Amino acid sequence: MKNIFTIAKNTLKLEVRDKIWIALAAFALGYVAIMLFLSDLVLRELSMVKAFALLGIYFFNAVIALFLGTTSFYRDVERKTVYFVLAKPVSRAEFLLGKFFGLCLVIFLTSATLAVAYLGVVALAGGGFDAMGLLAILMQFLEMAIFLAFAIFVSTFSSSLLSIVYTSVVFFLGHVVSSLVNDAREMGITGVRYVFVNILYYIFPNLEKFNIRDFAVHNVAAPWASFGYAFAYAAAYIILLLFLAIWVFDKKEI
Amino acid sequence: MLSISHVTKIYGKGKKRRLAVDDFSLDIKVPIFGFLGQNGAGKTTIIKMITGLLAPTSGTITIDGIVSSDASSKQNMGFMPETPYFYERMTGIEFLRFCERLFPGNGRGDEFLDGLLKKAGIYEARDYEISTYSKGMRQRLGFAQALVNDPNYLFLDEPLDGLDPIGRHDLKASMLALAKEGKRVFLNTHILYDVEEVCDEVGVIHEGKLLYAGPVKDFCAGRPLEERFVETVKEYEKKKK
Repeated sequence: MKNIFTIAKNTLKLEVRDKIWIALAAFALGYVAIMLFLSDLVLRELSMVKAFALLGIYFFNAVIALFLGTTSFYRDVERKTVYFVLAKPVSRAEFLLGKFFGLCLVIFLTSATLAVAYLGVVALAGGGFDAMGLLAILMQFLEMAIFLAFAIFVSTFSSSLLSIVYTSVVFFLGHVVSSLVNDAREMGITGVRYVFVNILYYIFPNLEKFNIRDFAVHNVAAPWASFGYAFAYAAAYIILLLFLAIWVFDKKEI
Repeated sequence: MLSISHVTKIYGKGKKRRLAVDDFSLDIKVPIFGFLGQNGAGKTTIIKMITGLLAPTSGTITIDGIVSSDASSKQNMGFMPETPYFYERMTGIEFLRFCERLFPGNGRGDEFLDGLLKKAGIYEARDYEISTYSKGMRQRLGFAQALVNDPNYLFLDEPLDGLDPIGRHDLKASMLALAKEGKRVFLNTHILYDVEEVCDEVGVIHEGKLLYAGPVKDFCAGRPLEERFVETVKEYEKKKK
């Protein structure tokens, strides 16, 4: 446990010093802040301010997660920096978990910073304290954690560039699989095609479970059970992905 | 004692199968042991198997009777990889702190780590980002990080590569000092001159096979080490044909 914590802390320290992260986080912060000015000029309704701000936070977090998840772990293994760690009393599982939690901390830090900016913007735009907005950002963080776990899993057996492709595909499919199943049902599709759509649904994570932005934008309370379900879903998916990642990494010759 | 017993390492499967180390056995008891061999001879594979970075396909490696890849063995081991890549955005002292925290216990603190940086000759660069370090400074930092746990066994893969004459002199002096303290140093190198100077015994490895292991003087028998090394490798090649 101590080793996982040490590696996670080190990963956080290293990644927040990365110029790309600094640039993306600053840009995201600027984007959220600019909503305040746009609210007077273009976005005359509070719901529009919230929608654009939450979407912006989601987009920037996804870009940061994609960048970190596909490069950080892969770079350590490829450049053999990992030798310094694994030649010490540290298992491969500890190293991989340390990297994962470290990257989660980076995304959490980014989300927390942007959440503070978001709450400030909404309050100044006359919306008061937006608890649902905060929950929406928290749910986005859970989605990013799945995203990171998947990116690390793919990084254990493929190059950084391919990891970006695979992770992006899963990200896209993760947002459309539930719609695909519903559409297939409504259109009356049966047989092999329906089975195929269902296989996709069960293989890829259903990332729409973490999208409660609409609830936040219209200030409607989302059912509490959905939060618990989403949390359990994210935890199960992350555990499965990390388990697979450790299994592959254990067999990899570095 | 470091004991390598019937170790074989095969990389890949099927058509990509490549024998890197072939039924290799060796016991090392001397303070400083040097592994000699051409590039691709299998030296790095062996050092990686000893330090647990790679698993042997067959055979065992033990240190004082304990399997070398065990966490308890690693606590007593220091390793410096060949041409090390560091976390560039860390400073020298931050990197040593990170390495030290990967060992059980509360660590020895900054005073001890500063001592290592002084010993390695890069104390002045303690708070500089590693990205600003020269190749020689990186080698020195790699050497310092291998000592953060005050190990009894030190494994160095091409430690003198990229060092200037003063750096080489300092590192060799450090190795000799460590040996005097009762530590065991195991180094891979293809710089024969350095081996002659610091090693008590050498092992000559070629195509994953051990061709000779024993005292340097016995191997040379009054002739230059380079000449004997080339002769040994050529004799093996001739026998193979």
